[in-house]
Amino acid sequence: MPPPSILWALAIAVVALLVYVSQDFVLLLLLSATVAYLINPIVKVAESAMIKRKVAVTAIYLGIGVAFLVTAYFVLPHLRAEVNTLSGNLPFFSQRFDEAIDAIENEIVASYPVAEGLFSTREVRYEKLNSFIEQQVADIPLLLSHLATIALAAVLIPFFSYFFLRDSRRITKFVLDRLPPGHIETTVAVWCEIDRTVGRYLRGLAIEGIVVGVLAAFGLAILGVNYPILLGVVTGCANIVPYLGPIIGGTAAVLVALVQFKSLSVIAQVVILYLSLKLLDLIVIQPLAVGKGNDLHPVLLIASVIVGGHAWGIVGMVIAVPMITILQRIATLLFERRRYSTQVLDSHPKSGVQSHPYVC
Amino acid sequence: MAKWRWLAQVTDQDQLLRLGILEKVPLFAGLSSRHLGKLLVKFFEKEYGPGETIFTEGEPGKALFVVLAGSVSICRALNEGEELLAQLSAGGYFGELALIDDQPRFASARSTEPARLLILYRSDFEDLMEGQRVLAIQVMGNLLKTLAGYVRRSQSQTNGRNSTIVAKPPPEPLE
Repeated sequence: MPPPSILWALAIAVVALLVYVSQDFVLLLLLSATVAYLINPIVKVAESAMIKRKVAVTAIYLGIGVAFLVTAYFVLPHLRAEVNTLSGNLPFFSQRFDEAIDAIENEIVASYPVAEGLFSTREVRYEKLNSFIEQQVADIPLLLSHLATIALAAVLIPFFSYFFLRDSRRITKFVLDRLPPGHIETTVAVWCEIDRTVGRYLRGLAIEGIVVGVLAAFGLAILGVNYPILLGVVTGCANIVPYLGPIIGGTAAVLVALVQFKSLSVIAQVVILYLSLKLLDLIVIQPLAVGKGNDLHPVLLIASVIVGGHAWGIVGMVIAVPMITILQRIATLLFERRRYSTQVLDSHPKSGVQSHPYVC
Repeated sequence: MAKWRWLAQVTDQDQLLRLGILEKVPLFAGLSSRHLGKLLVKFFEKEYGPGETIFTEGEPGKALFVVLAGSVSICRALNEGEELLAQLSAGGYFGELALIDDQPRFASARSTEPARLLILYRSDFEDLMEGQRVLAIQVMGNLLKTLAGYVRRSQSQTNGRNSTIVAKPPPEPLE
């Protein structure tokens, strides 16, 4: 029988290989686990009232389904109208965008004549814009193939997350019962830290995305920018990507405002709106929603987002921060255990025959 | 009666049994069923075979253990052999100091027959305390009473008035 360390290394290698081979499936499982984490606190409330977990999870899914339908009933018609108008306007988009750039250029040159030499000619700009649009149109079949994957995921994620939630207690007990007793405390500690870190991060992210999205939609509606609901949804969804998200949402809103108003002052207002939202998010929303932040160094955070993005795109960027936080917590707990077993045990006296009152 | 039958069908009987055991744990004396329910969902459950070591003296303590079924012995190593400090059965608890700090365990715990234990990790307990003032005061009061008992018995042992102490008296619930 090989030593346990070799067996562990083999097991980790096999798991890593499986993850590499079936990346899409692992991603699907991670997203399902994310949904389960978002819903778990409600299940725990029901469970603390002695309601069967199966009954609680089923009732919560039905409730979420009804809430989703009601929201869709009220919001979807407006959202659909905005999408239809946007898709109707798309053929004229390059022309309007070109006009808007011209208007902005004229506005700047009127105030600062020196800036005239800084802008490229209309022909060069038109060529660049057309090649960009052609590239996007060429990507449409790829996007449609992704839509099929997204539709499949929309069915499978609630399905998997339902079973994760329903059976999580049984799965945990199954795993704990099969672990060597000597590792139980560390395992429970690691599991609880993962649960706390990931749960807090994901729930915070969801609340943050919804609040920022709703505020952006209201702000854009007040400024009179077109498609406020659509842009609010884009801003809210983009906000879950650390660092890059707010820039993506802000850029979309600036582009729409640019084509619509062809005026620098409205663009400045939209930029101020998004900067204020970011500030509000950092000062108020994030501390309330996410709570105590993680202890990671900002450089490590950004590095993890870049690596996550490289490996799994936007989803990788979102899950990079909790993953790196989990690794940090596990390392801390394991080092702590090692430190105690090598240092504290040596200094712990075992001499003396006198009985002590039991305390441990 | 029929109108309550649906309630029995949606009620988790296993959780009710665990709640019944938690009600008997002196550390949680005086807590309402609502608070005990909130505490219960924080626990993990594990089965131990006879003679299995639950934790060893000197290891960092991270969790409190409650005996659901079976029995557990608490021992301390001496130069020759070991000293039995306590024998716990259903409703007994041990490892409570881990809820206070992460200092090494003062004694070892071992199951003497097949046992089912509930395990509460310190950070989970602290999270619960943060939002539940009444629960925090009650549990901390019970814990302090237990510790005060240890200190008194330890002093009386030092003074030679007591020879062996193997069981923990349950603390009185707080008023």
